[in-house]
Amino acid sequence: MNALRLGSYTFSSRLILGTGKFSSTSAMIEAVRASGTQLVTVALRRFNREQAEDDLFGPLSEIEGLTLMPNTSGAATAKEAVKAAHISRELSGSPFIKVEIHPNPHHLMPDPIETYEACKILAAEGFIVMPYIPADPVLAKRLEEVGCSSVMPLGSAIGSGQGLSTAEMVKIIIRESSIPVIVDAGLRSPSEACAAMEMGCEAVLVNSAVAVARNPAAMASAFAKAVEAGFEARNAGLMPRSGAAVATSPLTSFLGAAS
Amino acid sequence: MSTIAIILNGESKEIPAGTTVAGLLVIADALGQPVAVVVNENIVRPDQRDSCILHNEDQVEILVFAGGG
Repeated sequence: MNALRLGSYTFSSRLILGTGKFSSTSAMIEAVRASGTQLVTVALRRFNREQAEDDLFGPLSEIEGLTLMPNTSGAATAKEAVKAAHISRELSGSPFIKVEIHPNPHHLMPDPIETYEACKILAAEGFIVMPYIPADPVLAKRLEEVGCSSVMPLGSAIGSGQGLSTAEMVKIIIRESSIPVIVDAGLRSPSEACAAMEMGCEAVLVNSAVAVARNPAAMASAFAKAVEAGFEARNAGLMPRSGAAVATSPLTSFLGAAS
Repeated sequence: MSTIAIILNGESKEIPAGTTVAGLLVIADALGQPVAVVVNENIVRPDQRDSCILHNEDQVEILVFAGGG
C-alpha cells in the first residue's frame, strides 16, 4: 500500500532527486545517500576527458538499490527527445525516461505539443515515460491516455524556488489522474514538498533546493522527512476546514458555572 | 599512414584510416568508461565497436551521464 508504483517498478521512497548543480560529485553522492531516494535523474553530456571525474555513472552505480532516470534535457523537439531517450537507455540500461522538452532557455517552460508527441512514441516503445509538463489537466489526461507512467507538472519554473505556484491546477490533475502525479521543479523548502504530498501527489522531484543548500545532505534528509510526513498525513485524513472556531475543550460545566 | 577527418563531439579530428569505434575510444582516452557512442545518428553498441570502422566525415558523438534534474 505504501509503495510508489511506476511502470513495473515499486519504490519505498517517494522523493526523486535530481543530480544537477551540486558543487561536487561527492556532495551529490552524500545528498543521494542522505535522502534515501531510489530514483535519480541524470542528463546526457558530451564526453570530455578533462571533466572525466564529473561522470556520474560510476559513483551512482555504487549505491545499492538506485535506479537511474535519464532526462532529455537539451532537446527542443520530440525527435531530439526520442533520440536522447534511445541513447540514454543504451547507456543506463534503465527503462525510465524523464521527457523534458523546453525550447526556450529563458523560462524553461515545457513544450506541450512536442512533449506529447515524444511521449506517445516512447510509451509505445516500452519506456517508463515520466513527462515534465506544464500544470495542464487536459494535457496530463492526454499523456495518461498514450501510456505515460506518471505526469510531472511543474510547481513553478525550474530552479526558481517559487514553490507550488500551480497548486490549484495540480489539484485538478490529481483528481482526474489514474497515474501518479509528481510535482517536479520550483520547490524551495521541505514544507512545500510536504504540502504537495498532502495534496495528493504520489512523489516529489527536487534538485536545486538540495543542490544549492549550504548543506545539501542535510537538506536532502529534510526533504525526505517532509515527503514522508505529507504522505502519512494524507493517508491519516486531514480534518475538514471550518469557517468558524470549533472548540476543542468543553464549554459547559466550567468551574463554578451554573449547570 | 593515411588519415581521415571525422567530426567528434562537434569538433574536427584527424584519425588514422581504418580506425574502429573501439580504436577511437582509445584515442579519446574513453576506453573502459561507461559511454554511449553515436555514429551518424546510429547508436553503436559495445559489441559492435570492434567491427565498426569509421569513415571520412563521419559524425561521432561520445556521450556520458552528467548531473541533471
